[in-house]
Amino acid sequence: MANSRSMNMKLLNARLTSKLSIVLFGLVLVFSAKAQSGPMGGIGLPPGFLEQNKDYKFPDDITKYTANDFLMLVRRTDIRSSFYNSDMSATISMVTVSPDRGTKTFKQQIFRRDKDDAFLMITLEPESRKGQGMLRVDNNMWRYDPTSRKFTHTTIKDTYENSTVTNNDFRRWQRSIDYSVEKLSSGTLGNYNVIIGELKANNDEVPFPYIKMYIEADRKIVLKVEEYSLSMKLLRTSYYTQYVQIGDSFVPTVQIFQDGLIPEKRSQTTYTDISTKPLPDYYFTKEYLERVSQ
Amino acid sequence: MRLIHLKLAARNVRRQPHRTIALGGAMAFSALVMALILGFVNGMDLAIQNNVTLYSGGHVLVSGYTASRSGRLQNRFTDDTVVKIVESTKTDILTVSPIAQSRATVVFGTREIQLMLRGVDWSRDQLYHESLILTEGDWEGLEDSRTMLMSAQTANRFGLAAGDRVIVRLSTASGQQNVTDYKVAAIYDDGAAGGMNTAFVAFGDLAADLNMKSDEQQQIAVFLKNSAAAEEAAQAITAGLSAQGFTVSRGSASNEGALGAATPQDAATPQDASIIPDAFQGAGGVQGGANRRLALGTAVYRISTVQELAGEIGAALGSIRWIGYAVFALMLLVSATGISNSYHMVLLERTKEIGMLRCIGYKKKDVFSSFIWEGILLAGGAALVGIVLALPIGFGIGLIPFDPHGDFGAALIQGHLRFAPTLGQFLLILVFVTTVAIAAVFVPARRAADVVPVEALRKTA
Repeated sequence: MANSRSMNMKLLNARLTSKLSIVLFGLVLVFSAKAQSGPMGGIGLPPGFLEQNKDYKFPDDITKYTANDFLMLVRRTDIRSSFYNSDMSATISMVTVSPDRGTKTFKQQIFRRDKDDAFLMITLEPESRKGQGMLRVDNNMWRYDPTSRKFTHTTIKDTYENSTVTNNDFRRWQRSIDYSVEKLSSGTLGNYNVIIGELKANNDEVPFPYIKMYIEADRKIVLKVEEYSLSMKLLRTSYYTQYVQIGDSFVPTVQIFQDGLIPEKRSQTTYTDISTKPLPDYYFTKEYLERVSQ
Repeated sequence: MRLIHLKLAARNVRRQPHRTIALGGAMAFSALVMALILGFVNGMDLAIQNNVTLYSGGHVLVSGYTASRSGRLQNRFTDDTVVKIVESTKTDILTVSPIAQSRATVVFGTREIQLMLRGVDWSRDQLYHESLILTEGDWEGLEDSRTMLMSAQTANRFGLAAGDRVIVRLSTASGQQNVTDYKVAAIYDDGAAGGMNTAFVAFGDLAADLNMKSDEQQQIAVFLKNSAAAEEAAQAITAGLSAQGFTVSRGSASNEGALGAATPQDAATPQDASIIPDAFQGAGGVQGGANRRLALGTAVYRISTVQELAGEIGAALGSIRWIGYAVFALMLLVSATGISNSYHMVLLERTKEIGMLRCIGYKKKDVFSSFIWEGILLAGGAALVGIVLALPIGFGIGLIPFDPHGDFGAALIQGHLRFAPTLGQFLLILVFVTTVAIAAVFVPARRAADVVPVEALRKTA
């Protein structure tokens, strides 16, 4: 009797120990995953970034929006304008106008993996820039020059080709992660009813410390973003004038960026040939960029 | 040496003036060319150091980088201990000043230009007050808030005068965009500053624009009494900081891939380093790997000297110097061949004379010595003439104005090449030319000494 009781106790202890081990192992896995996910403005997305927004109920009356409602609205535009569930490739035609430098045109091929915040962009035109590339991976950005065969470090805050476009504009949208809502209002932009949100950056990873977003209430798409400096001077205005629906995504295919200090200075990027076919992992490596640039 | 040898040699040199002028002229020309090359290389070296000191703001730069929340290094630091250690390290420090700077876009109307914007503590500045020549405005105007000292080239490009306002767009220390405005209080002659187009503002104003705290700075600029002591000062500062536990590396930013810079002006430009430069591997617990980040608040420091910042430009001067030596050696070789041939002819011409001298008591070594001394007098005199001629030519070329904004602007002082030879270099030229002449005359002198007197007299009888 005593023997069977002690046997039972041992069995119970063993079971408890195994269950405790499993629980501890699970906790270790969760914390490891969180530790590897990186900072909020980096590769990782906050937990529930996609799921929480899926069934979110927005107020019907735009005047009743709260700060959290607007942030979720911004998140909705982030998710719909990016490709968090697939890869993306497209051709970008860019035209820049400047009083000093005149008009220039560029053509690039871009490959994006938004869930990893990675992209690769290769310049196709003009001939003098052909083969130059840009790679963002693991929260680092590189420029590649096929002439010197060198990689130089850059950041998402830098401008692209001395234009009004920044490197950040080629990246996935994640304003709901990088900004917090300061003030809300409503109004109209042309014929559209818009909710206007004034947001402040909550990290130093983004180029503009303050932005003002004009989001159309009905289709929940961004029409205009005003970007301000630390001293609240208008630096740039971005217009998203044309969208294309691809699956569940609403992709802004025509984007216009106008300089706030010199209004004559502006750029337009047009996305065409958008594809969501899966891309090989090696696309987002320096070796591939070096190879394909030659 | 006997005086008679010298007198005989001197007489022989004077005896054939055309030959002397021909041989001596070639050697004088070699000495002239070498003196000019060395003088101008010295001058360019001096100019580069002076101009790089202006570009960088001091003879020794201590740059501080602090890890942000995301782990990236930002060019800023707050530790007062660093300043105290720097100030206490050396006794011949003139000033220790905080510096902030940024690449900025200056906008005026529809025009914009990119240039370096540097924040200077005007109350402690000595370098710029002494070095820059103001063409408009005055130093007192710069003491007002939000005023700018602009280069003449930039002002002319915009059509600006003192009193005009410009908009400045720059990136903060964390890389975010900011826009402010400044009033142009004064304009300086950039031609006299090596073609520099940096704009200067008050340190406090720029620090605020860069969103830095009041006790933050990006660099400490150390201005010494003697720029030649920069390396020694840098070593002392490095030792002092390391002894206090600070992570310090040496060298200009051009030595670092991630904080890459190609020119002295870029060398001190703050960069938002997203990866840790090799020199800082191991700092803050990071164990290598280009993509590792530092813990929040970890600070690392880099110390550069004006000589290191001159870097690639200074290295080019070394190449010029060696090319000059090669040209000099080639010219001397040609002259030496001519001298040797000529003195073989002299030997034939003076065979009877040598025989006569031997008959009246001259020994072999006396004949040998007189030939050698003839060579020394010829070469030495020619070298002296060449060196003396180099002086007015060199100083004359120094009066020619060059474009300070051109490729060699950094090697000019106020738009002119400076001729700065040293006595040591002149002596070196003299000794070298004379040695080559001795070597050239050696064989003919030995043959002259070996002449048998009877045979010499019989042949010429």
